[in-house]
This record gives sequence, C-alpha cells and structure tokens, in this order.
Amino acid sequence: MASRVLVQCVRSLAPSSRTLYQGSTVSARLPNQRAFSLLSSSQKTRQTNLTRQISSPLGQLCRKYGDLPPLTLETIKDRVLYVLKLYDKINPEKLQTTSHFLKDLGLDSLDQVEIIMAMEDEFGFEIPDVEAEKLMSPQEIVQYIAEKKDVYE
Amino acid sequence: MANPLRGEVVRLYKNLLFLGREYPKGANYFRERLKTAFMKNRDETDPEKIKTLIARGEFVIKELEALYYLRKYRALKKRYYEDD
Repeated sequence: MASRVLVQCVRSLAPSSRTLYQGSTVSARLPNQRAFSLLSSSQKTRQTNLTRQISSPLGQLCRKYGDLPPLTLETIKDRVLYVLKLYDKINPEKLQTTSHFLKDLGLDSLDQVEIIMAMEDEFGFEIPDVEAEKLMSPQEIVQYIAEKKDVYE
Repeated sequence: MANPLRGEVVRLYKNLLFLGREYPKGANYFRERLKTAFMKNRDETDPEKIKTLIARGEFVIKELEALYYLRKYRALKKRYYEDD
C-alpha cells in the first residue's frame, strides 16, 4: 500500500520537476530534492530516469545549499580585522595583525573577552575559555580559527 | 593573572554580556554599566570577597532572566487584554 502511494508520488513529481528544469534554476531545486529523497525507498523502475535528471550539469548547479564561500587564511584575516575595526575601543589606524591587545592597543582583559565573543558571533562557533584567554593578537585568532576550521593554505 | 578565580570571573562576565544583548535599554548601555561594575572591584585579591562578588553576579543573572521572563509575559498579556 505504502509503496503504491510512493510510486504515485514519484510519478506525479517527476514530470513536474522536468518541466521546472527548463524554467528558473531556483525553483527547480525543491522538487528535485524531494524526488531524490523518495528514491531511497526502493524505486527501481524510476531510478534510471531520475538519476539521469540529477546528474545533468544543471542539476549540479542547483545543489548549493546556501553555503558560504570556502574559508582561506586571507579571508579569515580580513574578517577578523573587519570585526576588530568595528569595535569601538580599538583605533583602526593603530591596528596591526601582530599587535597585542593588552600591550599595544591598550585594552584590558574584559575587552579581550568581548573581542572573543565578537569572533564567536562572526565565525559561528564557540571558543572555550581556556583557549580564549591565550588569544591576544589578531594573528593568533586567525591561526586558531584556521586550525579549528581545517584551513591550511 | 594567576588567580584561580580569574576563569570564574571571566565566565561570569561573558554570561552577563550575553544576557545583556536583549536588555530593554540596549546592549551598549548594559555593556558600559557592566564594565564599570567589574572595574570597580578590579583590585580585589581576597578570595572570600571575590567569591561573594561572583555570587552577586550570579544573582544578577537570575534577576535578568526573571526580567526577560516577565517581559514576555507582559507582552502576551497586553495582546490578549488590550483594553484593561
């Protein structure tokens, strides 16, 4: 019974997704994914037809999942410096990648905590307190984030 | 630097800062007040005193949570009983 319903679903979806393929790429994404997930439940007859659709070059372009561009050391550095420039207690002209927060920029340890929190927001992951108190310059933050995100070039 | 309670204090500061983001008067207002409150006791070295101060900070966290909870409740009440 359930398999019969599934067959009907796939049949009704397959032609509609095919017609959408000729249309805009954005709207084609949703029916395409749904057909793909239904495939997993032992649909042999339609499989060849659908995989041909998915493996088409247009299908590759459609599946991006709204991901960000890949991180490189350069982009991490730019983003770190951008966040630091927006921080009101740092003078943007004095800011260097090697400058020490406490010694060169005249901040205190509470400001440093705030900076680490801003970095957590920017890069979307949490930095543990033990590691956070060792990060004292933009260079060190860049290195730490690159290590955590597996960026080595 | 080597004070064992330092980590505690930093954690407290971080938690308070995080809670302060939704403060009714704005995150900046809260951040400045919080900073002055922490800086006022920056020279404290007695572990017992630091512990009582941390306990006070934890109390403030509870107060803030209660404040946000009440705010949510009031907003809901206002929507349902507009006229009284």
